[in-house]
Amino acid sequence: MRGKRRIMKFILIDKVVKIVPGKEIQTVKNVSLSEEYLADHFPTFPVLPGVFLLQGLIESACWLVRETENFAHSMVLLAQAKNVKYKSFAAPGMNIQYTVTAKTIEENISSFAGTGSCNGEPIVEAKFSLRHFNLVEKDSKFAAEDAYIIENLKERWKLLKGM
Amino acid sequence: MAMTRDEILLEIQNVLVDALGVDEDEVTPDATLMGDLGAESIDFLDIVFRMEKAFGIKIPREELFPAESLLSTAEYVSNGKLTPKGFDELKKRMPHSDLSAFAADPSVNKIGDLFTVDVLVNFVDARLNAAG
Repeated sequence: MRGKRRIMKFILIDKVVKIVPGKEIQTVKNVSLSEEYLADHFPTFPVLPGVFLLQGLIESACWLVRETENFAHSMVLLAQAKNVKYKSFAAPGMNIQYTVTAKTIEENISSFAGTGSCNGEPIVEAKFSLRHFNLVEKDSKFAAEDAYIIENLKERWKLLKGM
Repeated sequence: MAMTRDEILLEIQNVLVDALGVDEDEVTPDATLMGDLGAESIDFLDIVFRMEKAFGIKIPREELFPAESLLSTAEYVSNGKLTPKGFDELKKRMPHSDLSAFAADPSVNKIGDLFTVDVLVNFVDARLNAAG
């Protein structure tokens, strides 16, 4: 039996503030000086890399999908991102508020519009779509992996929702 | 190799469409790379590489995008703004840009707004004409 293994090393949101299944999710991320990648980005001017701001939006949407479809799929992945805009830098000490609105959530695909801001100041915005599936669809021997991943995701969801 | 500004702009539009996955009509001369076109750190590497290939010139990344090294140098930044030394250095590295608005409030958060498509056109234009 495998040991306790974490499924994702980085978590780019800290807490879910509000969720309306099928429609919208609001989350927050506090930028901390102790985030290891900030040491290089940049040494005297630490700011959250743009891709991680985008990741915050994507993770928020992923949780909206999982909650809406009741964790039906182990894999919820980015399919496409467009109209991404980085309006301002996100520095340590800042509290980023993400709002992601679903345009459509179907069984295997979904699309969203999202923004991230800090005290009303826009930081990031993007439109993107996700695809959702189970590994077992690719190969039947992955059923156990799907179950393990979904179990872990449900545990992580409890932490994010603050239950 | 002599190119007109329009020809340079066309090439740069192609570069940015390929590097950033944006539509051609989004790449207007005054579009900002970060705020309008969604470019971030990793993209700048890609943009420089593609421009080198498109125009047959060598471009040290520092030269085209001085923000990163400026912001990483302690004496150029203080309390979220460029110091007078930092601003002078920026002017030296962006000789063709109008920095008067930025001078009024040289906040590092606004530095991204300086990097427009036009800045790339200016850079290549100056480079190709200096060589010719």
